[in-house]
Amino acid sequence: MLARKLPLILHNLPWSVSSRAGSDLARRHYDVIVVGGGHAGTEAAAAAARVGAETLLITQKIATIGALSCNPSLGGVGKGHLVRELDALDGLCGRAGDWAGVHFSILNRSKGPAVWGPRAQLDRERYRQFIQSELLSTPRLTVLEGSVEELLVSQSNPNEPGHHRVTGICLVNGSQPILSSSVVLTTGTFLSGSLFMGQTTTPGGRIGDAPSCSGLSHTLRETLGLRVGRLKTGTPPRIVKESVELSLVQIQTPDKEPTPFSFLNTHTHCKPEEQLPCYLTHTTPGVERVVRESLHLNCHIQQDSKGPRYCPSIESRVLRFPGRQHQVWLEPEGLTSDLLYPQGLTMTMPPDLQLRLLREIPALHRAEIRTPGYGVHYDFVCPTQLNPSLQVKSTQGLFLAGQINGTTGYEEAAAQGLWAGVNAARAALSLPLLALCRTQSYIGVLIDDLVGRGVTEPYRMFTSRAEFRTSLRPDNADIRLTPRGFEEVGCVSLRRYKEAVRVRDSLQEGLAALKSVTLSSTRWREKLGNISLSESRNGSLNGLDLLQYKDVSFEMLAAIFPEHLSPYLEFSQRLNIEAVYRPHCEKQSREIERVQEEESLSLPPDMDYLSLPTSLSSEVRELLDRVRPNTLGAATRIPGMTPAAIVHLLHYVLRTAQRNQHTGQRVKAACKP
Amino acid sequence: LWSGHHRPAPVRHLSIPTDAVCDADTIFALSSGHGRCGVAVVRVSGPASSMVLRNMTGLTQTLPPPRTALLRRITDPHTKELLDRGLVLWFPGPHSFTGEDSAEFHVHGGPAVITAVLQGLGSLKGVRPAEAGEFTRRAFHAGKLGLTEVEGLGDLIHAETEAQRRQALRQMDGELGHLYQDWSSRLKRCLAHVEAFIDFSEDELIEDGVLNQVDSSVHRLQTEIERHLGDERRGERLRNGVQVVIAGATNAGKSSLLNTLCQRPAAIVSPIPGTTRDVVEASLDIGGFPVLLSDTAGLRDGLDSVEREGVRRARQRVEQADLTLVVVDSTQLPTEPKQAPTFLQGYLSIVLPQPSGGNPEEGREATSDRVLLVLNKSDLVPEAQKERTERELRESLGLPPACFLSCHTTTGLGDFLAVLQSRVKTLCGNPLSGAPSLTQARHRAHLQQSVQALSQYHQYRNHDLALAAEGVRLALTHIGRITGRVGAEEILDIVFRDFCIGK
Repeated sequence: MLARKLPLILHNLPWSVSSRAGSDLARRHYDVIVVGGGHAGTEAAAAAARVGAETLLITQKIATIGALSCNPSLGGVGKGHLVRELDALDGLCGRAGDWAGVHFSILNRSKGPAVWGPRAQLDRERYRQFIQSELLSTPRLTVLEGSVEELLVSQSNPNEPGHHRVTGICLVNGSQPILSSSVVLTTGTFLSGSLFMGQTTTPGGRIGDAPSCSGLSHTLRETLGLRVGRLKTGTPPRIVKESVELSLVQIQTPDKEPTPFSFLNTHTHCKPEEQLPCYLTHTTPGVERVVRESLHLNCHIQQDSKGPRYCPSIESRVLRFPGRQHQVWLEPEGLTSDLLYPQGLTMTMPPDLQLRLLREIPALHRAEIRTPGYGVHYDFVCPTQLNPSLQVKSTQGLFLAGQINGTTGYEEAAAQGLWAGVNAARAALSLPLLALCRTQSYIGVLIDDLVGRGVTEPYRMFTSRAEFRTSLRPDNADIRLTPRGFEEVGCVSLRRYKEAVRVRDSLQEGLAALKSVTLSSTRWREKLGNISLSESRNGSLNGLDLLQYKDVSFEMLAAIFPEHLSPYLEFSQRLNIEAVYRPHCEKQSREIERVQEEESLSLPPDMDYLSLPTSLSSEVRELLDRVRPNTLGAATRIPGMTPAAIVHLLHYVLRTAQRNQHTGQRVKAACKP
Repeated sequence: LWSGHHRPAPVRHLSIPTDAVCDADTIFALSSGHGRCGVAVVRVSGPASSMVLRNMTGLTQTLPPPRTALLRRITDPHTKELLDRGLVLWFPGPHSFTGEDSAEFHVHGGPAVITAVLQGLGSLKGVRPAEAGEFTRRAFHAGKLGLTEVEGLGDLIHAETEAQRRQALRQMDGELGHLYQDWSSRLKRCLAHVEAFIDFSEDELIEDGVLNQVDSSVHRLQTEIERHLGDERRGERLRNGVQVVIAGATNAGKSSLLNTLCQRPAAIVSPIPGTTRDVVEASLDIGGFPVLLSDTAGLRDGLDSVEREGVRRARQRVEQADLTLVVVDSTQLPTEPKQAPTFLQGYLSIVLPQPSGGNPEEGREATSDRVLLVLNKSDLVPEAQKERTERELRESLGLPPACFLSCHTTTGLGDFLAVLQSRVKTLCGNPLSGAPSLTQARHRAHLQQSVQALSQYHQYRNHDLALAAEGVRLALTHIGRITGRVGAEEILDIVFRDFCIGK
């Protein structure tokens, strides 16, 4: 059966030739099996292989690996932070974005480097090609087309009821199971997914793809006893570009100089002048009217009993904020695509009404729809049942990433995918599992929020979720993560590591050089011209002091002290940022250390809080039993925890740790850089 | 008046105040009791202790020899006004209780002196009032406590947190509480709107006008908090003394007890159930200790709304009390003395608020420390039944001390006063009972830091909104230490409520 798939792979990837695929496909046992070829799955498979695991990626359709199923864009505020961090850990999406981007811009340019949002519109075809060829050239990685019928798990451990171990998967019509030590499930919206359009409902996770088998959902729920919830999302209709009156929209031009996502790239594939514009238009009262008139024909919206706090669709927007103009962005789908993607117009009404709605917008008055919008309902696994390694607490070797954990967005999915892939590989190779701390990265914030608090609506990353936002900037993601990614995690190439170390050392030297150049404020004023400087106490200021002034740049200082500073001109922007932020980061560092100290104390996953022989109130016991925090730090963040309860817990953990030094495999919550 | 964006740039970046929970902060606390005590001890711990010692005592060059008491003039660090003459001690780390540099001030025990010294300490940069159990926690982190002592630490923190909570509840009662709550909710809104502008303005329709509103709100808040801090006369009305509350069923004789204790008719006493609808308060001196005694409405489900309000206030009072006198009508006691303990347990569970922890052990301990049972109208109970009941109650575990008393004949009053006085004395001598002046100092310190943090907003408003937002976040953290912590989700709730945010 497997051999039969081989020609199919080659057929679908005609631009890339692999000589090693044949021998790999003969295997019946892998270290890691990744189910799903979306953003989470591709990052997971690539990361697992980088860590050193023999990895199999199984997807329903090889052609849709790396497909952007919704918006043709990557990054943004908060999400861009995730892309930079993924790249710092040698993930795929940053480089794929640089290859496929057709419109680059840094959002929030005027609001401070900590909240800059690198973003790009993507060419769908190029993105898919990049991801597919990258996967095919990744050693130890095999791609297989198929549908997973069932997840194979061991019988429940009699000593620990409810605890299982993953053993592999079974394919639909597969004669024999494929065995593995770890399985990463990244099934997106396909877990009991159903599609909504108007009054029709069909099973599935994405239009045009077969629904995945219900066996998986059954195993998760019935055999493993996992709690699942239901969420919904949607996608807008795609509009034929020719049918849009572009004279009636505002043109949004990209940055003149595209900034790459990847730390490895100095420029993007798309030339600056080849970039495409985006277009901005607004809704009209007519749009609101169509929404109201079509409500009785709209199952997706009618079932909106406990909707999210934000507005996922145009229906929810005009219902919750009536009488307003809402923004609609018309985004290019690629260099050669004849379609536009209307961001802000996700809708689930019947197709004829979708067309009526669009045509209420002046620029779209004769718009044609290529594919209508639709909604998806799908199951997610309550993520509080996972460890920070993204392994299911009760099932050794089973990892979950992406929408299955209740998140929304490509970047959020990719971030979890990479981390789940890393840990799936490490588990298979008998290496300790790892956690990323929220003091260190947005990926850490994301995972900590998911496993620590759970979700009630699709979780999306915002910079306001990161309490250490000042330190966790897009510019310094490489310094924060790449060294650890190489030295400890094992998911970073030597080439990237060396580059990050070079940058780190150069920045340190550059800052020292800035500190070493001092002049009196009078002399600085002479040299810099019209700059108003405040007098400092002893009258002399160094280069770092000068960079605190908005109008002073590293380049200006390097012109005054070329022999000291010109070697670091390559890093002038980063040095500007470092100089301004360093004092603030140092102020935060104590708080960060305290959090890290608490994070480094892990709580045993099997702790029986209800009968713990220490004085905890029954309320606190129930809280702990329900949330099952992984670390003392996570426990302190549970709403309703008292300081006294934390101390009792700390005491209990230390006493127990003293008594028995070694316990089984445990997540190592290493936060120390 | 200037608003943030008209301010001339560039501005030199000032240092930001650190978050209040930093371990490297220097902390202080009153470690002796409040009320009538000869000497009050104020402890300081942390890296700035030597600076504190120098600034408060005018010792510019040399510090006192380690661990030796030195008599000094203690002055306000800013006005140099003499606050007191007292002993100062210097404990350089690691040879101190916390393992850090520490200092002690032994000053005269009057509330005015203590308040002045605490406020002086709180006005120093990097120095703040200690959180509950923080001295002990630092000692633990420095390895100064054994693991066995940590179990005690948990209980200590619980007790301190409870005491501070009660104290804070009292201070937050009324005008001041509303003021702080109002500041907190306005800051929350400011932060939410800045965060919305940062996270969503490029994709969604969030106009620049949002930020202009935040500018003026932040400016108004700053002015208001500064004015509040500068206004000595309108400062917090300290409710000094041990808070003793009389509670019980209607017509058990609560008001009669108050009158007996005050020896004057402060509350209307009448035989109709439900006469006392509001809380009646009286300040009195019991054995030399200040006591604030309140009589409350009888706890029953009142029929009219005025009475229901009285009952609500009564329950609130009981929650805030240091000591509750639960008055029982002795004639209602079961005639079979063996059943008395069960009857009284049931009575207590109706009158007292249920312990929030839900741990029965913890709750019972706390109850017996903070409650006295007054079995009133003892003149109407046969002497034999009274004696047998007394014996039963002495032998039964888990009940607070009970005293038979007749407000009518004053029989048993002497014994009851003796018990009450010893209880008040213990409470006064216990630093855990939460000195109002310390709560006040804590509030001041957080408000000051909050104002400081808000100036960071204006400083960065035009060229780095992330750092400006950080200022508002810090300000909210500090106010939150008075009114309750604010999490990221709460801010997002406001963002999603006020703005239309897409997928």
